[in-house]
Amino acid sequence: MIGLDVGSTTAKAVRIVNGEITYEITGTHNWKDLIKGVDKEEIISTGYFRKSVPHKANVTEITAAIYGVRHCYPDADVIVDIGGQDTKVIDVTKNNFTINDKCSAGTGAFLEFVANYFKLELEELGTLHLKAKAIPEINNTCGVFAVSEMISQLVAGYSKEEVIAGMHYAFARRISFMVPEAETLVLIGGTVKNKGMVSALREIIRGKIMIPDEPQVINALGALKYYNQDIE
Amino acid sequence: MTALVPPELVFACGAEPFDVNNVIPESKRYPKSKLCAWTAIWSEMLVNKEIEIDSLIVVAGGDCHNALVDGQKVQRSGIPTHFFFYPFDGNPEYLESQLESLSGFLGGVRYPGKFREISKLKKLGKKIDEKRCNGRISPADAFRILISFSDLCGDLNKLETAISSVREQKIELNNRIALIGVPPIYSDIHEVAQELGLQVVFDELPFEFIRHSGNDIHSTARDYCGYTFARPLDFRFGFLKKELEKRKVDGVIHYTQFACHHMLEDEILRDELDCPVLTIQGDMPGKTPEQVKLRLEAFGEMIGRQP
Repeated sequence: MIGLDVGSTTAKAVRIVNGEITYEITGTHNWKDLIKGVDKEEIISTGYFRKSVPHKANVTEITAAIYGVRHCYPDADVIVDIGGQDTKVIDVTKNNFTINDKCSAGTGAFLEFVANYFKLELEELGTLHLKAKAIPEINNTCGVFAVSEMISQLVAGYSKEEVIAGMHYAFARRISFMVPEAETLVLIGGTVKNKGMVSALREIIRGKIMIPDEPQVINALGALKYYNQDIE
Repeated sequence: MTALVPPELVFACGAEPFDVNNVIPESKRYPKSKLCAWTAIWSEMLVNKEIEIDSLIVVAGGDCHNALVDGQKVQRSGIPTHFFFYPFDGNPEYLESQLESLSGFLGGVRYPGKFREISKLKKLGKKIDEKRCNGRISPADAFRILISFSDLCGDLNKLETAISSVREQKIELNNRIALIGVPPIYSDIHEVAQELGLQVVFDELPFEFIRHSGNDIHSTARDYCGYTFARPLDFRFGFLKKELEKRKVDGVIHYTQFACHHMLEDEILRDELDCPVLTIQGDMPGKTPEQVKLRLEAFGEMIGRQP
């Protein structure tokens, strides 16, 4: 069986063979590459496109996240899934969730604005953040207007690295408004690979923050676990 | 009318009520400037004479705050407009004076028998609500009837015919849902929820439409003082808690409208209610969007995991 998560930006496939988790990641529109030679009956899907791709069963990414995270951290209280187009906060203890998809501030799309402006790859943002000597105050406003805020800070004399760090803090504050108080919080989703953003989140959010080794494939893993809860 | 105005009185004065919200969920209009799409659309349509009315009654106190301004825009376009206020403290003398003033605006009571006639019709509405709660009528059919009670279709016979044509069926009620807040701006949300395994057994505002009545202005004022949307939150939540318990609700969907002050109630409501709550925020009218379907589906899965 495979867990297939076809989200807004990337597609992920997870297999568990002899207790070992293997995975593949590609762009959303290349999802077919992940299931070459795989029968529909072998696929449990999740993500935005869960119903459009071949599947035996499908489950929402909210439920998939709970099952996937539970596999890595059985005692997690809150899950924050920062995706390309939305951010989901799942309160596992209260069985509750909220999704932000109306505003790009607080989603991966916000960081894409930043990377595009500086003509950088997304992955470079985290590394540059760590070189910042000061953090400019950037409002938690609209992601679309973020560019004008960045320009203002550059004009004020802050370096590229510092402005990027400021954007990460603005991003983290936006996320923190959605997060309930919790002892243990697990971050998942592709955006979590950004070390600068995570360090800003660690500073702003109280509670122990944990990140799985491969945060981007947790929902695909969760889909698989949801269908077959006995898989170790 | 822009919201719940006792339609008994409107009929008794010989006028034909029309709830301007009726046209919104199917509307394709993109209002030029808007906070809440409900009021922005009816306001623009009335100003442009796209809804035929002779005069407008605006519920400006105790429900929709945007209506107070949007109603004045309509008034400035030349349509005779009356502003109706519910008492926050539930004072019956105040409400009676408001109803007397409305009666004056409409030319005075000419058909007092309409009060009793409508009271009987509301009993039929309560039966529809009861049958839906017992899984004998689909949530969508029940909603369509109950929501029509705000203006009684402007024609009591038409509404009675609509009620008698509701088809009884057997609906499996495995996730009993209360839909609270302002009515959703999506035209098919009850059907969508049902397809996703959530059966709406309570529609908060439409239930208010069938709950209140009276035999004359005096008794109508006393009954409509209990209109929960116009009263303090403690009053409304106290009523809701009893209703949710009575209907054995498994979860609550709190519908909020973009830029509506009722959104602010979400946090308090979540503290008050002792069951899973899903908050949905709608903006423009139309069919239920995919993002909302995702939330409904996940909510169904979540309720399924309840111990």
